[in-house]
Amino acid sequence: MDTATYFLYILISSMVMNLALALYGVFYKPHLTKKIISLTILGDTANTFALIIGYRLWPGETTPSRPPVLVGWTHLNKTMLQQYVSSAVDPLPQALVLTAVVIGLAVTLFLVFLALQIYRHYGTLDVREIRKLRG
Amino acid sequence: MDWLVRLATDMLGLTVPVLALFAFTLPLFTKVFGEKKYPGIHALIALIYAAASSTIIAAGYYYAGKPLLYAYGGWPPPIGISYEVDGLNAVIGLFTAWTLLFIGIYSLWYNHHFDEPEWYYILLIGLGIGMLGSLHTGDVFNLFVMIEVLSISAYALVAYHKRRPEAVEAAMKYAIIGATATTIYFIGLAIFYGVYGSLNMADISYRNYQLFTLLISSPTISIGSLIAVSLSLWAFTYKSALFPNHFWLPDAHPEAPTPVSAALSGLVVNIGVYASIRFLYTLYFPGSPLGVYRDIILLVLFLLGFTGAFVGALLMMVQEDVKRLLAYSTVSHIGLIYMAASLGFAGLPIGVVALALTAAVYHVLTHGTAKALLFMASGVFIDTGKTRSLSGLRGVGRLYPWVSTAFIMGFLSLMGLIPFGGFFSKLLMYKAYMEAGQVIPALLVIIVSALSVPGYAKAIYSIVFASPGRSAGYEKLKLRGVNALLFLMAIIVLLLGLLYPVIYSVLYKYVGLGLVSPEKADLYRRVFLEAYNELMP
Repeated sequence: MDTATYFLYILISSMVMNLALALYGVFYKPHLTKKIISLTILGDTANTFALIIGYRLWPGETTPSRPPVLVGWTHLNKTMLQQYVSSAVDPLPQALVLTAVVIGLAVTLFLVFLALQIYRHYGTLDVREIRKLRG
Repeated sequence: MDWLVRLATDMLGLTVPVLALFAFTLPLFTKVFGEKKYPGIHALIALIYAAASSTIIAAGYYYAGKPLLYAYGGWPPPIGISYEVDGLNAVIGLFTAWTLLFIGIYSLWYNHHFDEPEWYYILLIGLGIGMLGSLHTGDVFNLFVMIEVLSISAYALVAYHKRRPEAVEAAMKYAIIGATATTIYFIGLAIFYGVYGSLNMADISYRNYQLFTLLISSPTISIGSLIAVSLSLWAFTYKSALFPNHFWLPDAHPEAPTPVSAALSGLVVNIGVYASIRFLYTLYFPGSPLGVYRDIILLVLFLLGFTGAFVGALLMMVQEDVKRLLAYSTVSHIGLIYMAASLGFAGLPIGVVALALTAAVYHVLTHGTAKALLFMASGVFIDTGKTRSLSGLRGVGRLYPWVSTAFIMGFLSLMGLIPFGGFFSKLLMYKAYMEAGQVIPALLVIIVSALSVPGYAKAIYSIVFASPGRSAGYEKLKLRGVNALLFLMAIIVLLLGLLYPVIYSVLYKYVGLGLVSPEKADLYRRVFLEAYNELMP
C-alpha cells in the first residue's frame, strides 16, 4: 500500500467516525450549543465527503493529481488539454461544497440566534428544561 | 400557440429569480413608501406574479404536449442547471402559487399582528421561492438549495412571534433536526454524483434507462443508488412530516402566525411528497438499477404512511387546541397521500399505478385547499376568542355565518363527504387498491377516514354549534373581505368535488400516465436529450 492510499483510508475512517459522533451529538446531547456544534461537524463531514468523491488519487505513475486550474489558456493546444483532463481533480464537487458551506453558514447563524432567543426566555439552553410545549 | 410555449419556457427560468428580486428589494421600497401598509402590497404583487407565471407554465406545458425545459445561462443540461416541468410539477406548482396568493391576501387582514411586517413578507416570498424552485427544478443539487431556501424561511416564520417562548422552542425543534436532514441529503447528493457523474434528474433517469434497456446490472450502482435514495428520502419525509418524522409538526404549525400555518400545512408538506414521487417514479422506475430495493422502499413508505395516518387520526381526537387538531389532521392526511403514492410496485399494471398516483396528487390538491381554508378560518375565530382552546371558542362561529359555512365545508371535505373533493380523492385511493387486488389497504383507507371523523366533528360542534357561555363576551371583528375570500376557497373545495370527472381525466392523463406509462415518461428524458443536442457546441 502506498502512502497516499494509506492516508486516504485514515481520512475515510475518521470521516465515518465523525459522522457517527455528529449524529450522536445532534440527537442525544442535551445542550443546544453542543447540538449546533455537532451540526457544523456533520456539515463539514459531508463537505469533506463530497470533496473526496471528486478527488483523483495519483492518476499516473509519475503525475500527481492537480488542482482544477487550467494554466496557459491563452495558447491552448490539444495535448495540454488532454494532460489537464487526465490529471486534474473534478471541480464540480468543489463548487457544490462552496454552495453548501454558504448555506451551512446561514443555517448555523440562524440557529445561534434562535438559541440566544431561547436563552432569553428560559434562562437555560438545556433541552430537558425547555419544555413549554406538550409534544 | 407557439408563442405561449416560448413564453412559458421563459417564465420557467424567470419565476424564481424575479421573485428573489421582489424579496430583496422589499426593505428598500419599504423605506420609501411606508412601513405599515406597503410591505403587504409589495408581497401581493410578487405573489400575483408567481400565480400568473405558474398558470402560464401550466398552459405552456398543456399546449406543448411535452415537458418544458429551461437551461440557465444557455449551458447544455447536464453541465448547467436546468428547470424542467412535466405534468406533475405543473399541476402542483399551479396549485401552490394560487393558494399562496390567497394566503398573501389573508396576510393583509392579519397584518395588525405583525410589529415589523416587512420581515414577515420577505420570508413569505422566500417560502414561495423555495416551494416553486423545488417544484420546477430539474437538478438534484438545485433541489437541495431550494429546499434550504424553503426551510430557512419556514423556520424563521415559525419563530416569527419571537416574544412567545413556545414559538421559539417549536422553531428550534423544527430547525435543528431539519438542518441535519438536509445535510444528510447533501451526503446523498455526493453519492449520486459519485455513482452517475451527474446531478441532472433527467440525466440520471436516462442513465438508468440505458442500463435497463441494455440489461446491465451493476451491484455498485444498485447499492450506491440505494444509499443515496434512502438518505434523500429521509430529508423528504422529514419535510413532509411522515411518521415518525412528524414530531415537529404539531408544535411548529400551531405556533406559527396563522397564515403561515396555512402555508406550512397546506403547501410546504407537499414538497416532500412531490420530491419522493419524482425520485421513485422518474429517476428510479420499475426495472431501474434500484431493482428489488425500490419495492422495499415503497413498502416501507406505505407502512409509515399508514402508521402516520392512523396515529394522526387517533391523536386528533384528544386535542383541545384547534390549530393543534388541524396539525394532527395534516399528519394523518400526509400518511394517506404516502399510502396512495407508494403503490408503484414492479409488476403492477400501468393503469393501476397511474390511478394511485392520480389519487395521491388529487388528495394533495383537496387536502391542501381545505387545510389552508381551515387554518385561515380558525385564525378569525382565534382572534375573536383570544384563545386557541376549543372550550374557549364555544359558539364563536355564530358571529360569522359566512366564515362558519366555509369552515364546515372545509371539514366536510377533509372528512370525505360526498359532493366535496375529499370524497373523490379517497374514493380514487380505494379504487386503486381494489384494482391492485389489495383489499386490506383499501379497507385501511376507509378505517382511517372513519377514525378521523370524531376529531373533526368535535371541532365543528364546539366552534359553530355549541352555545356560547354567558361569560363569553365575543366582540365581532371587522373582516374587510376575508369572509368573501374564505367563502371563495370553500367554493373551490366544493368545485374540486363537483368537477371530479374533468379533474380526474386531466390528472390521470398528465400526472398519472405521464409518470408511469413508458412512452410518456420517456418524454422527460427525450426533452433533456434534445436540449443537450441543441445547446452543445
